[in-house]
Amino acid sequence: MAIDYEPASAAAPAGVTGGGPPAGAVRVTCDRAEGRAGLRVPAALGSLDEVARFVLDLGGRAGLHPSGLYRLRLAADELATNIVVHGYRGAPGVIAVDGGIDADRVWVRFQDDAPAFDPRQGMRPPALDQPLAEREIGGLGVYLAYTAVDAFAYELVSGRNVSTLVMLRREGHPRAPRDASNEPTAE
Amino acid sequence: MSFDVRLRVDERVATIELRGELDAATAGRFHDTIDQAAAAGAIELVIRAEQLAYLSSAGLRSLVFARQKMGDDVRIAVVGAPETVARTIRLAGFDHSIDLIDV
Repeated sequence: MAIDYEPASAAAPAGVTGGGPPAGAVRVTCDRAEGRAGLRVPAALGSLDEVARFVLDLGGRAGLHPSGLYRLRLAADELATNIVVHGYRGAPGVIAVDGGIDADRVWVRFQDDAPAFDPRQGMRPPALDQPLAEREIGGLGVYLAYTAVDAFAYELVSGRNVSTLVMLRREGHPRAPRDASNEPTAE
Repeated sequence: MSFDVRLRVDERVATIELRGELDAATAGRFHDTIDQAAAAGAIELVIRAEQLAYLSSAGLRSLVFARQKMGDDVRIAVVGAPETVARTIRLAGFDHSIDLIDV
């Protein structure tokens, strides 16, 4: 895995524009002065480890509480899985991931060229009144992601799916899980 | 990041020990192991999760599969899950059908 350091002027949006490497390669870019970094991975479940390492490193550098760090990784993992399974649906493709550390928050952004879809629209809270064996569990991963982070935004930009996860940097105790009883609206 | 799963069956009690990180890339091995436990005619499934560092919805799907495959009469317990993992199980409401046991 190559690690490239880029000048600050190339940071927005880092690691996602321009001619990246072909599917099958992993590229990591990092600009520590700006607190931003990015990588491009093949749209495959085998890339989940790489995404997890990226997010855990970013959140760790931001000093997230361990439970917050776990939740950010969970949200990123579920979102990446969703892009692979429901976005590209087995077709070859690339997922661009970048992230940054701001004064009060850590953000991770996913960009992909799968058919347009807002992953939040597939979110289904668990049907607690149904026996486990009879549950429809599609949408559970997005539900876990949505409730894990402080913000989960989606927009379609020039035909590209862009999803952003945000975790606030809190001192001391972690927050309670977010209420997902209201369906999110597309932004 | 690694994942390991081991199965032991004693007196029709199946014990599955999970270690590492259970995500969509590794859940297939857990799924297959549940299948083996069911095929062995287990009447109880104990999932030792003390060393399970991470659990995604893919792992939860395997727990649903366990309940479907083994039937309602088989007790399924997840033992010693770290709080982060236990939180995910509770958030999904699986603790209504699966015993979540601290150690």
